[in-house]
Amino acid sequence: MKLGIIKRSFILTGIFISFYFIVSSIAPAGTIDLFTSEKGDIKISGGTAHIPVMKDAAKQIMEHNRDIRISIAGGGSGVGIKQVGEGLVDIGNSGRKPTDDEIQKYGLKLFQWAIDGVGVIVNPKNPVKALSMSQLSEIFAGKIFNWKALGGPDKPINVYTRDNSSGTREVFWEKALDKGEITDKANVVVSNGAMKTAVANDPYGIGYVSVGHMDNSTSPVILDGAEPTIENVKNGSYKIARGLFSNTKGEPKGLVKKFIDFLFSPEGQELVTKNGFISVK
Amino acid sequence: MKERFIEIFIKSFAWLSGLLLLSVTFVIIGFLLVKGVPTLSLSLIFGDTSPADALLLRRQVLEGILPAMAGTGLLVLLAVGMATPVGLAAGIYLAEYSRGNLKSFFSLFYDILAGVPSIVIGLFGFSLAISLHHYVKEIYPCLLISALALAFLVLPYLIRTTQFALESIPAEVRLTAPALGATKLQNIAYVLFPRSLPGIASGVILAIGRCAEDTAVIMLTGVVAAAGIPGSLLSAYEALPFYIYYISSQYRNSYELQTGFGAAVILLIICACLFLTAFYLKNQLMNRMLYRR
Amino acid sequence: MEKTTIVETGFLGAAVLSASLAALILIFMLFLGFPLFRGGYFLTLLTTPWNPDKGFFGIYPMLAGTLSIVFLSLCWAFPLSLGASALISVIAPTGFAKFCKKTVQMLTGIPTVIYGFVGVFLLVPFIREMFASGSGMSILSASLMLSMVISPTMILIFTDTFESIPASYSAAADALGASPVQKLVHVILPYSRRGIFAGLILSVGRAMGDTLIALMLAGNAVAVPGSILDSARTLTAHIALVIAADFDSIEFKTIFAAGLVLYVFTASLILLVRIIGRTGMKNR
Repeated sequence: MKLGIIKRSFILTGIFISFYFIVSSIAPAGTIDLFTSEKGDIKISGGTAHIPVMKDAAKQIMEHNRDIRISIAGGGSGVGIKQVGEGLVDIGNSGRKPTDDEIQKYGLKLFQWAIDGVGVIVNPKNPVKALSMSQLSEIFAGKIFNWKALGGPDKPINVYTRDNSSGTREVFWEKALDKGEITDKANVVVSNGAMKTAVANDPYGIGYVSVGHMDNSTSPVILDGAEPTIENVKNGSYKIARGLFSNTKGEPKGLVKKFIDFLFSPEGQELVTKNGFISVK
Repeated sequence: MKERFIEIFIKSFAWLSGLLLLSVTFVIIGFLLVKGVPTLSLSLIFGDTSPADALLLRRQVLEGILPAMAGTGLLVLLAVGMATPVGLAAGIYLAEYSRGNLKSFFSLFYDILAGVPSIVIGLFGFSLAISLHHYVKEIYPCLLISALALAFLVLPYLIRTTQFALESIPAEVRLTAPALGATKLQNIAYVLFPRSLPGIASGVILAIGRCAEDTAVIMLTGVVAAAGIPGSLLSAYEALPFYIYYISSQYRNSYELQTGFGAAVILLIICACLFLTAFYLKNQLMNRMLYRR
Repeated sequence: MEKTTIVETGFLGAAVLSASLAALILIFMLFLGFPLFRGGYFLTLLTTPWNPDKGFFGIYPMLAGTLSIVFLSLCWAFPLSLGASALISVIAPTGFAKFCKKTVQMLTGIPTVIYGFVGVFLLVPFIREMFASGSGMSILSASLMLSMVISPTMILIFTDTFESIPASYSAAADALGASPVQKLVHVILPYSRRGIFAGLILSVGRAMGDTLIALMLAGNAVAVPGSILDSARTLTAHIALVIAADFDSIEFKTIFAAGLVLYVFTASLILLVRIIGRTGMKNR
């Protein structure tokens, strides 16, 4: 009977899952069931690239146990590091490795659970698909300011950049622009999501965003022959890479520790790859 | 001849201005309604959780705007709850117990407070939270701090409305109770205050509207992008206007954009209802004044 | 009786508490921004550009942004509001005028975030395509939408002023055979000078203090704007954007400088309206 089959498959799945977890419990065990009898709040803030993974993880955990509340805010890597250091949040995400100063000042413990890249994007309607690093520097410095100089339409280039607390910006500035200047006429947006939306809505825009965030609302730009895909980040041909960190003040305990463990667990890492990043396991 | 020309010019200018403003308004609201009304549905609010489960707090709503609506609702309740007693008391004091220079002095401060930009009030709330955090570890920008800051925001409006409502009571009514031997306080409590209730109520409702729509204050004092229904006064929360702002700059797909429009329509409806109620109550006040029932 | 006095003291207490809030806000701004005020650094702040990487923490570009957006939005809003209030109070037939006034009153209740939201999806692309310069997020877009935000309140203040002229003046004008427009130009407007000025000043304060429109529509670039099609940042948007930075840094403290500037500006405007009102009383 129908019911019989369903019941049987549940039992079978249960057996398989238990078997799987028993076997994988050699690694830091982070199964969703560890959250079963927990209660409490987790406050997370910081890097905006991390948000989709945070949201998915929070969704799974909160659906499993309604006594756990996870709040997620953005703000950028700088915010995450500072807020976790000041004790305002439990987990501060950053898209760049915290500096030694920061680690020492706040007593941070770092957990890198994904690898990501930072790539340049333009609007899908833009015929310009590839740039050299020097062209990129000149565009962002404001020295090239019309698309026709690059073989595109005769329209001004609208540069979009991130605010100062952004880890994405830090990585882009250091590795793609070689610490070059970003024009002060650039429009400032506050997150990876906002950057994507801005460039997707502006046919003459150019910006930079986390590789994991890229989708077909924007076109990636090939830099010196390397296309910013996650595979290329993995195999090293696309060089502008960065880790996604979750930082805590001191050793994480209790619920927070379980959340971090969850990120490293198979389910967590699956969320990482699902959202377009590279898992670390 | 010149007079005639000026007359025609002014008339046409006035008509043009009026019509221009009206049409822009209709375009704005129309655009919103056209894009937003089709998205209104239970799944907009509750996501894929069933309404019963969500409302009974049995399960969290993760894809709908219920947490944002709940956050706004709680904010408004707390903020107006905190501001109303203080605002009413101060308004009564201003209308009944002070006069001349002192009154003018107080009034000036309230006007200044009313004129302070909302983001500066938010900044103030944020600074308060951070300062308090040094003494009480549990306090950081949260629902309570936001409600407090919003209370600061609407306090001047409440004071002024109460003051105005009390001051509009005609002299004959004011003198009746004291003539019968009542004390000043008894006069206020039994005659003046009940009489000015419609005006005060409309002020309270306008304050509710102001709290529901404000974004700048809450951005600095604890609203976040995702938090579920707030569990305690000290927890992070979501709010409708912030949701709309957030979605407008960071929607991930067209579905999320739709929810932004839907949320905007819902906020518009809430504000419209509040406004109509306040307006109706204010008219009641006018009627009472004119016809002295 | 004792009980009465306690309640009445409560009233006084509430009044004092509320009044002290205004002062408290000022004190907090001063206190938290204190390091900036030493050695005339504050003045430097007001005149230098913003470039934290190079150590420049000036809020001059934001000052320029605020002033240009406010000025421009008043350029749009003031004449239109004047014209619309003339329409409502004097020129239009009563039925239509009442309808207009009701609509304007409703408009004051619309949340600013909604204006911003519609602006992002309707106005910005329009400006971008129309002027072929810049991303559409500009002083122009922000000021156009901001003028829509401040117009309803301005119109209400103006119509109140127009309608509060003494009935005898209005009757006198009618008795002499003046047309509505003549009455407007020769009687109502001169009499309403003070009210119009007050309405204007209050709207300046409102426009200056608005955060969301500028945040969503003006682009938030840190350069001093060169044209109205340039992206710009206002003091208010700056506070919202920088609030996230490190507490102890000079960068963070500049938002208190911005807050202070805003506070002082708006408080002065309020004082200005007060003074005008007072001299008005004396000259009657």
